[in-house]
Amino acid sequence: MSVSGWFRFKGRSLFSWAFTFQRLTGVVLLIYLLAHLTYLSTLLDKTGLTYESMIAITVSRQFLVFDLLLVLCGVFHGVNGFRIILHEFGIAYENRKPLLAIFTIITVVVWLYASYIMYSLTGG
Amino acid sequence: MVKFRIRRYNGKKSYWQTFEVPAKRGMTVLEALYYIKENYDSSLAFRASCRMGICGSCAMKINDRPRLACETQVLTLGNTVKVEPLDNFKVIKDLITEFDEFFEKHKAVKPYLIRKNDNYAEPKELLQTPKELNEYYLFTLCIKCGACYSVCPAAATLDEYLGPAAMTAAYRFCADSRDEGQRERYQIASSPSGVWRCHLAMECSEVCPKNVEPAKAVQLLRRKTAFSILKSLLGW
Repeated sequence: MSVSGWFRFKGRSLFSWAFTFQRLTGVVLLIYLLAHLTYLSTLLDKTGLTYESMIAITVSRQFLVFDLLLVLCGVFHGVNGFRIILHEFGIAYENRKPLLAIFTIITVVVWLYASYIMYSLTGG
Repeated sequence: MVKFRIRRYNGKKSYWQTFEVPAKRGMTVLEALYYIKENYDSSLAFRASCRMGICGSCAMKINDRPRLACETQVLTLGNTVKVEPLDNFKVIKDLITEFDEFFEKHKAVKPYLIRKNDNYAEPKELLQTPKELNEYYLFTLCIKCGACYSVCPAAATLDEYLGPAAMTAAYRFCADSRDEGQRERYQIASSPSGVWRCHLAMECSEVCPKNVEPAKAVQLLRRKTAFSILKSLLGW
């Protein structure tokens, strides 16, 4: 058996979708963290120009969509992770369906607010 | 007429076969499978026994969801019904899957009352209040049909994983006030293939035909196991 078991959706409930997105966003965040730390720790330019030029690319309007997706991954992973921790302690298990809906709404609201702020910062 | 698309397996290859069944009100998927076996193809293999949702033998994937064939009404499924063997199990033939490993895992968690000083020559009654019974009653309803195991992503990625059904049985006995074997079971549950492998997809509770809530049992067992480890670390 393999990780393809994470991606079975047919006939499954929203909990399976939440599980798969939790895994996927975890992998995305891990790759981002590794790339981020690798880039920062291998900077040889002590003047800071290489760093500044990279930052200039990442805060540009063209790059915004990637930033927004990364923030979505982070927010979803954090909020959904909190929901899972609650259930893992045996809390609110019977209310798992409304809780999933509430946490999904929180994810969307936080992400939309963050997107608005980031869009404003790029001069929108 | 309802079209039945059945995923068959002859030991070498897997293929789809379609049959038309004259469905009528009240007809279950199991009855439709018997109709196919008796009228079209006697080689169609499937497991069934009680025909009343008690034995759990006829669990199979019906329209992409694990269900008991004997409790699923054909007319609620539309014009085409897709029938497949359960996921996460090795297929032996057609809709029959290998359950030996599943039952071995169930046996591994010692699903019986463990008493330290029972005298079988002079048996005594073990009293229990209704509140004590309610602590575990829900989890006694498991019929070991394997539906929960078939949708579990942890079981899909690790063959050794005990699975929701076995851990529900473990919790059922750990929560029983008459039982004295909790420590033994907590040790089994805290193994690498035990409670820590559950990633709480909660799909097991969604598909359980008896509404046993296996995911809840696994989390409660996890909590008890964690406290047991903590206690043993502190020497209590």
